Amino acid sequence: MRTKLLAAATVIAALGGASLEALAQAKPDVLVKQRQAAMVLQAKYLGPIGAMMKGAAPYNADVVALNATFLENLARMPWDGFDASTKGEKSKTKPEAFSDPAKFKAAADQLESATAKLGAVARAKDEAGVKAAFGAVAKACGGCHDSFREK
Amino acid sequence: MQGEARVKVWDAPVRLFHWLLVLLFAFMFFSGKAGSEWLEWHVRAGYAVLSLVLFRVLWGFFGSTHARFGSFLSGPAACIECLRHLMKRTPSPYAGHNPLGGWMVLVLLLALLFQAGTGLFSNDDVLFEGPLASLVSKAMSDRLSGWHAWNFNLLLLLAGLHIVAVLYHAGFMKENLIGAMFTGVKRMPAAAAGSAATRFASPWLALALLCVAAFAVFLIVKRPF
Repeated sequence: MRTKLLAAATVIAALGGASLEALAQAKPDVLVKQRQAAMVLQAKYLGPIGAMMKGAAPYNADVVALNATFLENLARMPWDGFDASTKGEKSKTKPEAFSDPAKFKAAADQLESATAKLGAVARAKDEAGVKAAFGAVAKACGGCHDSFREK
Repeated sequence: MQGEARVKVWDAPVRLFHWLLVLLFAFMFFSGKAGSEWLEWHVRAGYAVLSLVLFRVLWGFFGSTHARFGSFLSGPAACIECLRHLMKRTPSPYAGHNPLGGWMVLVLLLALLFQAGTGLFSNDDVLFEGPLASLVSKAMSDRLSGWHAWNFNLLLLLAGLHIVAVLYHAGFMKENLIGAMFTGVKRMPAAAAGSAATRFASPWLALALLCVAAFAVFLIVKRPF
């Protein structure tokens, strides 16, 4: 039984690997759509926390924990969509995203680490920690947009 | 040429409006380009700009003679005549705005209104939404955000043209328009000065109209109803 399960898991993992490979070969216009989808969902889960931070909505630790966890995962999703093959696609991405990959990577890493921190304090139901960590997330969004997104 | 007269043409509200707008415009330029960390202040200063421009529109109807649209928006014949003077660099004494300058005032005000208006509907795709953005779709808000960015280029161009024009007046026509906007006083031929009878509106009226404009902006921003 155990061996069978392991075998199944191996097959699934292999399939998973295969599908990731397929993703890497996705058509450029699809890659753009996918990375934009990740961004749109980030906005979806960032918004309610932002409203709570501004005092426009009452603080809800459960919503914050859920949204921050989603954000933490979503923050890792867009980047492989900025494949060199998408350079000519219609989007708001500035050419610098492709011409300065080191800076782009740094901006992406900043969002990932900021959302990871937010996720951790949110799951710990640490309201003060969330308030402290949230600013860095918003700053990472805005900073990257300033450098790499057309107005 | 006969003697020169010193004529007061610009009232204090017009001058204060002008120079406050210059300062705010510079700040809006900086804070708009500086990135998202300045967005909050960009928005606040934007409300101030909108209040000022709305005030100026009201002052264009209820203000002193030379502040009124009716006094400085003239027909095509006057504009051509004015252009001819400019080309020949012959002095053309206008107490208030000359006909071309008058239309430029209107164009500048409209461009500023458009800039403030699109800003109210804009969003930054992170947390900021203009106070009226919720009234339109996201796609429309995105489009208006794009127009907000583009119209700023137009504003820069217009401001540049405005500055070139007053420098042209100073350099080629010996008219110190910049100084007049500080002091309110123009030096002009005594003959022309005689026709420049100006009725000055009360500065208290200006203050009241500014309050009206600011309150209108408050209502737009907070939408308490």
